[in-house]
Amino acid sequence: MSGFRRFLAKRIAVSALLTLISVTIIFFVLRFLPGSPFESLITTGNLSPEQAEEVFALYGLDKPLWQQYLVYLRNLLTFQFGYSILQSRPVWAILGPKLANTLVLLVPALVTTAVVSTVVGMYAGWNRGSTTETTSVAVTTFLRSTPVFITAIFFLIAFSYTLGLVPAFGMRQVTATPNGLLDTYLSIDFLHHYLLPFAVTVLYYSGDFLLLARNGVVEKKGSEFLKLHQAKGLTEGEQLLRAGRNSLLPVVTYFALRLGMIFQGLILLEVVFGWDGIGRALVLAIEQQDYPLVQAAVFIMALAVIIMNLVADVLYAYLDPTVSTSGGAV
Amino acid sequence: MTDTDQPLLEVDDLRVRYSTSEGSVYATNGVSFSIDNGVNYGLAGESGSGKSTAAEAVLGLLPENGTIDSGEIRFKGQNLLDLSAAERRDVLWEEIAYIPQSAMDSLDPVMTTGGQIRQAIKKHRNVSRTKAQERVRELFDIVGLDPERTGDYPHEFSGGMRQRVTIAMALALEPDLIIADEPTTGLDAIVQDKILDTILDIQERIDSSLLLITHEIGVIAETCEELSLLYGGKVMEQGSVDNVLINPTNPYTMGLKNSFPEIEGGGDPVSIPGSPPNLSQEPSACAFTERCPFATQECEQSHPDLADLPNRNHRSACHHVERAAQMRRDAAQPDTWGIDVEDGEESETGEVVLETNDLQKWYEQSQSIVSKFRGETPTYVRAVDGVSLSVSRSEILGIAGESGCGKSTLGETMALLSQPTGGEFTFDDKPYEYYQNGNMKEFRRKLQIIFQDPFDSLNPRQTVRKLVGEPLTIHDYRTDERATAITETLETVGLPTTPAFLDQYPHELSGGQRQRVAIARALVVDPDFLICDEPASMLDVSLKVNLLNLLRRLADTEDIAIVYISHDLASLVEVSDRLAIMYLGRMVETGAVDRVARRPKHPYTNSLLSAAPEKDPSVERTRVLLDGEPPNPVDLPSGCVFAPRCPKATAECRSEEPAPDAAGDEGHTAACYFPEDEGNPIVREAGQNRENESVGD
Repeated sequence: MSGFRRFLAKRIAVSALLTLISVTIIFFVLRFLPGSPFESLITTGNLSPEQAEEVFALYGLDKPLWQQYLVYLRNLLTFQFGYSILQSRPVWAILGPKLANTLVLLVPALVTTAVVSTVVGMYAGWNRGSTTETTSVAVTTFLRSTPVFITAIFFLIAFSYTLGLVPAFGMRQVTATPNGLLDTYLSIDFLHHYLLPFAVTVLYYSGDFLLLARNGVVEKKGSEFLKLHQAKGLTEGEQLLRAGRNSLLPVVTYFALRLGMIFQGLILLEVVFGWDGIGRALVLAIEQQDYPLVQAAVFIMALAVIIMNLVADVLYAYLDPTVSTSGGAV
Repeated sequence: MTDTDQPLLEVDDLRVRYSTSEGSVYATNGVSFSIDNGVNYGLAGESGSGKSTAAEAVLGLLPENGTIDSGEIRFKGQNLLDLSAAERRDVLWEEIAYIPQSAMDSLDPVMTTGGQIRQAIKKHRNVSRTKAQERVRELFDIVGLDPERTGDYPHEFSGGMRQRVTIAMALALEPDLIIADEPTTGLDAIVQDKILDTILDIQERIDSSLLLITHEIGVIAETCEELSLLYGGKVMEQGSVDNVLINPTNPYTMGLKNSFPEIEGGGDPVSIPGSPPNLSQEPSACAFTERCPFATQECEQSHPDLADLPNRNHRSACHHVERAAQMRRDAAQPDTWGIDVEDGEESETGEVVLETNDLQKWYEQSQSIVSKFRGETPTYVRAVDGVSLSVSRSEILGIAGESGCGKSTLGETMALLSQPTGGEFTFDDKPYEYYQNGNMKEFRRKLQIIFQDPFDSLNPRQTVRKLVGEPLTIHDYRTDERATAITETLETVGLPTTPAFLDQYPHELSGGQRQRVAIARALVVDPDFLICDEPASMLDVSLKVNLLNLLRRLADTEDIAIVYISHDLASLVEVSDRLAIMYLGRMVETGAVDRVARRPKHPYTNSLLSAAPEKDPSVERTRVLLDGEPPNPVDLPSGCVFAPRCPKATAECRSEEPAPDAAGDEGHTAACYFPEDEGNPIVREAGQNRENESVGD
């Protein structure tokens, strides 16, 4: 397995390099944005130029850019994200819960839709031309191409305002003050608030997986190796499984990449459902030019995408024996 | 079984119809044949004759749009069509196994080869995984694969080895009937020969019957005892191979047999003109009548029934069976079929057009950064390794060799589609660098290349008119007389020039027509040089002969120099003036076609020649089976590259490489220290071990 180990080492090295490049870009883009975190205070006269300089020095913002950059890199390497400039709290204490909120919503939704839509898609592809196929493709494509906040609003109108089945807003009742992790995410109240955003997310992502799986199976159907499987006496279901296994690659790749991207949250969805996720936090932080907060959030997002890319690569090599891990084509 | 006389498989009046968006296609129209226990049965015919459909109907593998309108398929007396889907599945593999057509695609790419065989075993037998794995190893050994490789995936095997895997799979449960659908199509002659040898050997061992479907009569002549010839979904002639192929009584059989090119033996092959019948309705006349030179009024009326010929195992569907002897004589003459015979005078070959000297094309293998940093010398795949040849006007040079010998790379390098990495090469007395420095357009006009696959090499969204006219636009050649240029070229390649034809798209054309359009595209700019890379390998035998004749005519009348690259020695011998045999990037033997084919000097040429099947079942062929596969062109053995597989290699061969002209004289050279002598042919019996053989020099 030394070939695989070398492959892994190479991929990790590339990922590390990518991370460095992305954090560098974040840093400089932020600094080159016009204005500063205290812009509003200075323009309203609440902060005199002397005081402002003092505050700048306090946060190390008076030093040359390259020194700031080095400090920034050192802090990232030790996972010290620092303090939010505007909220005077550790960045992690602000981002942590919001990230958790986002992931609690999106990860189960993504896994559910990946499994269900893929299975439906494979079935649809196998029965090409059937009602199942045409309906499922039409419905999911419609859901995929409608902006998610529109779908969300329609669901709110239908299930919340008209039928009154679920609450319309927030993650829990306003009066609730949960203590501890269990209470936060495993209460009936939370589940009640959870259902609608969960359903919308599942439907939103379903089209991609369904189409990928369907197209894969359609392409594989009629191929020679399936004919041989059929000649061997495999049942239709067993043949479909083989066809599915052979078209799994793009689905898994897409799943891994999507998983990396959900660390950015689904801002529109969070806004519509009043879900206190990382997407909203990031938008707010950028508006206020809260450097440490933005840097940390973007860093986490970039890291997630890069890591999931790495996972996709490794899965690729694992799932498709024709992908050579020792570099170069077979 | 009580009744031992009962045939193993009886197909009775089978009618299969495909429904397509453009109406029905009547693929088989009352096909009947029966296979006895332990018999090898051949099913032959051109593409579209319904032979594969018949096999798929037996296996129950017809595509969804195919329906069996009537007929019975009785296996051991039981009508398979009466069985439920589940019962049918139980018969599959347990009793009837299948060897599919294209070994390259018929194995599941994400499952180990051993796993796929185990799956077949476990599907039908309740055995433990260890037991099944034991059987797989045993099977690998039987078909000549390394039992240690059962854990490897299909892509780790070569085409021939993959076909062995499917054979091993077919054997797994020792079925009573093996159906092999073109098991060797797409494999080169040497591999084909070895695979057939393996199938026969094993089939004898487990005593099963074989239904072999192929378009190559030669393969059937060598392997089968009985056959049916199909045309237009009808059986034209059936019976014992000896009777049918030696004394055919049906004009179609005669035509097919005469169009099969052979390396030795007399006369040019005669093709059957015309194209296969339109099957959009059941044939009311004799299916072959449109192309049959002996057709009369009677033939137009009805399709003849299969009639038993007296005293022999031989049936023929022809209204004129009684005239068979006379027809046989006439059918050998090209003018019977309405083909103009060009007088045999070969035009003088003109001046040299293209010459290569020690031409090389090495591919660098990808290297890790670390080894690059360390300055290690990269390894190379030596696809073309020092080839010297020359081609003159009006001359056809044939280049032959196994798959992977570098012949296609040589063609691409000569066409400057890939950059030579060493050696010289001149075209029209100018070095290739001259063309690369701004004269590429001139080069591209003068030298044209025709690719293997007529299905992929034409743009599906262009009409024939556009396809053939496009090179004129690109090269700004005869643009003011476009229409004339297009018509002239189409006439040259023997295609219709009607507006209706010009407006057709590639998918509306037959395979032969497509390949002709591809050739017309090359010819429309009046090139001096044509490189054909396996142009006929996808075509039926009669179309293949047409194509060969066309190329021959082009060389003779248009003074074009042609390089014809193929693994099919029979067609090469047919069409070429000179023949070059290539092995692992080098030329091992070059010379005039007659001398190379009749008196080969290099042992490799000898084995290539002996691998081609004979169409005459009465001729015994001595096979020279080569061991192993060509070595990896990365680390070539020192000395003669053929030495590891050569039956007469000595220490000298292994230490020093023979020069390309180590043997022979001007006009016929071979890179061998011990050229074959007529008096001392080295023929090894198939399967015998090399080490036990003492070969004197």
